[in-house]
Amino acid sequence: MSGIEAKLQRFAAIADDLEGQLKKYTDQGVKVIGCMPVYTPQELVHAAGMLPLSIWGSEKYELIEAKKYFPAYISSLAQSCLELGLRGRLDRLAGVIIPVLSDALKCLSQNWKAGVPQVRHIQLVHPQNRRIEPGIVFLSKQYKKIAGVLEDIAGAPITPAGLKKAIHVFNEHRAVMREFTAVAADYPHLISPLARNAVIKSGGLMPRAEHARMVRELMAECRAEPKEPWKGRKVVLTGMLADSPSMLRILTDYKLAVAGDDVGQESRQFRTDVPDDPDPYRALALQWANIEGCSVAFDPERKRGRMVADLAARTGASGVIYLLTKFCDPEEFDYPIMKKEFDRAGLPSVLIEIDQQMRNYAQPRTAVQTFADMLG
Amino acid sequence: MPVLLTLGADLGSTASKCVIMQDGRKIAAQTTIPVGAGTSGPSRAIAESLAACGKNLADMHMVCATGYGRHSMTDAHMEVSELSCHARGAFFLFPKARTVIDIGGQDAKVLRLSGGRLNNFVMNDKCAAGTGRFLEVMAKVLEVETADLAEWGAQSTAPVSISSTCTVFAESEVISHLAVAADRRDIIAGIHKSVAHRVAGLVRRVGAEPLVIMTGGVARNAGVRLELEAAIATPISVSPLAQFNGALGAALLAHDRLLQQL
Repeated sequence: MSGIEAKLQRFAAIADDLEGQLKKYTDQGVKVIGCMPVYTPQELVHAAGMLPLSIWGSEKYELIEAKKYFPAYISSLAQSCLELGLRGRLDRLAGVIIPVLSDALKCLSQNWKAGVPQVRHIQLVHPQNRRIEPGIVFLSKQYKKIAGVLEDIAGAPITPAGLKKAIHVFNEHRAVMREFTAVAADYPHLISPLARNAVIKSGGLMPRAEHARMVRELMAECRAEPKEPWKGRKVVLTGMLADSPSMLRILTDYKLAVAGDDVGQESRQFRTDVPDDPDPYRALALQWANIEGCSVAFDPERKRGRMVADLAARTGASGVIYLLTKFCDPEEFDYPIMKKEFDRAGLPSVLIEIDQQMRNYAQPRTAVQTFADMLG
Repeated sequence: MPVLLTLGADLGSTASKCVIMQDGRKIAAQTTIPVGAGTSGPSRAIAESLAACGKNLADMHMVCATGYGRHSMTDAHMEVSELSCHARGAFFLFPKARTVIDIGGQDAKVLRLSGGRLNNFVMNDKCAAGTGRFLEVMAKVLEVETADLAEWGAQSTAPVSISSTCTVFAESEVISHLAVAADRRDIIAGIHKSVAHRVAGLVRRVGAEPLVIMTGGVARNAGVRLELEAAIATPISVSPLAQFNGALGAALLAHDRLLQQL
């Protein structure tokens, strides 16, 4: 096994084991705070001396307990996050931050309070008037309030200097991840769509500085290899979630490499740095104001479609695969606008509905195979 | 040069279809068995087609599998998605086709062709509404053969409204209509309208650019076709080979592959 393969297996093992990672760090005496989709101020958790653990549901459990709280037509991502809590799989968490950026997440937040009282619930309300001063002030105050709760859990203060240091660590990690996505696009013969996702996803399940170091080592090994012409096609992925191994293997089966992404769990987490500001809470609030092209961050100009088309042009992708998480309203609302942008740019695209608990991928396989044929 | 024989097998969810072609131009045999992937249907359809033209599988220069069960056909030299096959078959039957509506047993698809090339498509979501399965379920509730639905629906004078687009809820709705002694012919006409409106939504997503053609088993149901024509305000052409279109496309793509290899 090559060094690259061994490293990719390590990332895959971490990405696939949310509960194992939680156990590993809590066994070491580290307090861990769960961070639910889509955006949370993980820097605050780090500054309090705790580990932020990104939770994006799980394919592993059938939705049974969550059905007591959710109707069937709610995003499986929100249901799956609640299922983990209701089954007691996250009891080792010292707390969980739940943003309320969609109707499903609002329900997740309140259902968590009712159904998972053993894991302290920390609510986060993002302002959608995020670029005007009152919105920035409101969010700064939200973050200060959350910092107070985190200080209480950690039993340690969050100092301005400590928070600035945390921001630096996370911005460095973001830069490394942006660099990684470019390397993955350059070396599709070494980094499959599944491996690419595992490298990114694992970053939310371990200390960021350690992850950045591992990713740098991987990139160095990849760069030591010759680039090879890709015999298939390259695509851009967009959607909230693209971490299903079955789905990602289908892309590999039809020689589709990921040239870039606009996925909620992936690049949207690291494409916007926290800017410099003397007040670190305001800096965190400004990051939310600066986010572009995300379905849960209100944008009257609806730039997301153009951004994805530009990304495809920049990365040499010949098509876009829109992985729509079933019943994820914000993503559904964006699709028709984005589709028009793709058509205007002459960019082939395909919409594929996915569900975290899907077991039969026959229809997505047919759609991907046909799309690959179409791209030629 | 010997005659090039290619076999296309469309192993669908509800039926197995097989077409054997000579030189990519002439249909030598065509067979359909009304059971699909995972049953005896695929092997029976292939065996009957071969028998119809007095050939063995070994005589086929290229075999292409398509449809829901395409991955399970070990004798195939190639497997292609049913959408690509329907595009190829449609271009053969109607060279001017721009929009292909394929309603199969399990899903519905709309394809956009340009010069015979597939350049856009949409599929229905994972739901039986608007598919052949929906019609089968309704036929069973109404105690009518699926093949006779069109004839019954044509006799309707006042179609009932089937408001639900979900198979399970629509079934309850049909039972409610039966309970109040609604005429079966009117219920069937309402069902055709319901399927047509569901599929019309898909058609609008790619645009109903003429020439519009319809393929798949449901194309044989004139009731659905007429309602669909009304819903998209565009005439729809249907070939007598509509149900074989996927298998035909597979046989043609197998021939295309052979030519590339020569």
